[in-house]
Amino acid sequence: MTMDRRTVLGLGGAVAAGSLLAPGVYLVAAPKPPARTEVKAGRRWAMLIDVNRCSPDCRACTQACRTENNVPLFGDPERDIHWIRKVEIRDKSHKRPSITLPVLCNHCEHPPCKHVCPTAATFQRQDGLVLVDMHRCIGCRYCIIACPYKARSLVYHETHLPEGGNPKVPIRGKGVVEKCTFCVHRLDAGEEPACVEACNRDGDKGMIFGDLNDPESTIAKRVLEAKTTTIRPDLGLGPQVYYKGL
Amino acid sequence: MAWFRPVVVAMALLAVLFGGAGGPEAGASSLGSGPPGGGSQGGPQLAKAKGDACVKDRAWMRRNHMDFLKHRRDETVREGIRIRDESLLNCQSCHTSRTEFCDRCHSFVGVQPDCFHCHNYK
Ligand code: HEC
Ligand code: HEC
Ligand code: HEC
Repeated sequence: MTMDRRTVLGLGGAVAAGSLLAPGVYLVAAPKPPARTEVKAGRRWAMLIDVNRCSPDCRACTQACRTENNVPLFGDPERDIHWIRKVEIRDKSHKRPSITLPVLCNHCEHPPCKHVCPTAATFQRQDGLVLVDMHRCIGCRYCIIACPYKARSLVYHETHLPEGGNPKVPIRGKGVVEKCTFCVHRLDAGEEPACVEACNRDGDKGMIFGDLNDPESTIAKRVLEAKTTTIRPDLGLGPQVYYKGL
Repeated sequence: MAWFRPVVVAMALLAVLFGGAGGPEAGASSLGSGPPGGGSQGGPQLAKAKGDACVKDRAWMRRNHMDFLKHRRDETVREGIRIRDESLLNCQSCHTSRTEFCDRCHSFVGVQPDCFHCHNYK
């Protein structure tokens, strides 16, 4: 299954090194990551979320994100860090049932957060990812104000690597702003974001991820054939998280 | 800046004195076999690394690892170039203990890299 999705993503090849018996079980030792990887310009990572499939009580994506990226929960709604969160939308006239959907960083083509950043800590990678360079962030929070998707959080507390946390992802410094990275460390290793993987494994199977610029990719085809929308397209930011059935 | 000079000189002197006296003390740790043929006398006792060679020449690493790491981090984070063996995550596969390798030298020379409240390095 991993194989399929990777091929779908146009990330094939990375797994070919070891023969896969069952998900995560290899005949030989797990293949070593390649010695050197580099981003490819001209890619356009995007996500398609099928809102009709997203059930209100499923938390597969948000849980997977917290585990993968060591995102702690402090239990203080004002100051909690969210990279991806479930939002409920109610129809005021009660004609339609309320729906829930995950909201995360939209990795905009024209990111307002990047434009307001005084230290160029927020930047766009060649493949369109909008990332925060934590080494540069001074915690001024202009970006939090600029982001219409409320995708960013400031870290108000000291944090530590939780028991059984993922050592590959640095934990966080107090006083820096952070947000969803589309799991950049996984993308660079040829895997898809943790939320998408979890949604398709344990959840409602409503998330697709891939390269929109590759006409052969599932996501490019789906976005073409199905009616999709983004949140607040009127702002003209070119968000890259598409929703179906919104 | 003139006031600063005597301080620096005094610190350098202290370092030399401390280096001479601190050697055997730090060497009490079973790991402290010391850098073989290391340049200056005394100096911190560093835990021996696994593997045959560092990612670059040893003398070069001693002098340049800070710039190397900072240069690499810009390349990795901003340009998306990841070099598996030279990543900060990989230092610990040979220098298994941060306290007995990196920190021992850093406290000897009096620098406190602020990297490890985010980066995982045991
Ligand atoms: C505020 C938290 C934070 C601090 C402090 C921090 N880093 Fe990072 N660093 C990160 C994050 C987040 C990444 C991105 C990880 C990724 O994309 O895999 C990163 C990536 C890196 C990378 C590239 C990835 C790798 O493993 O090689 C290097 C090198 C690096 N940092 C070096 C440093 C150095 C040196 C310092 C101290 C001078 C430092 N960092 C301090 C958060 C931090
Ligand atoms: C393949 C194993 C290996 C890796 C990976 C590795 N080193 Fe080394 N390193 C060594 C060896 C071996 C030495 C020589 C010192 C010795 O004989 O104990 C050394 C020496 C050094 C020295 C000089 C110490 C002295 O005695 O002067 C520094 C500084 C250093 N390494 C930093 C790093 C940093 C920073 C990284 C991560 C980017 C790293 N090393 C990764 C094996 C490694
Ligand atoms: C032989 C002594 C020595 C060893 C061993 C050593 N360092 Fe250093 N390191 C230094 C010195 C000296 C500096 C200060 C350089 C300066 O301030 O110009 C430094 C600075 C740094 C910096 C830059 C800090 C900053 O904020 O600019 C980083 C990062 C760093 N070391 C990482 C490491 C890591 C990781 C290891 C262990 C794998 C290590 N060092 C082992 C001597 C050492």
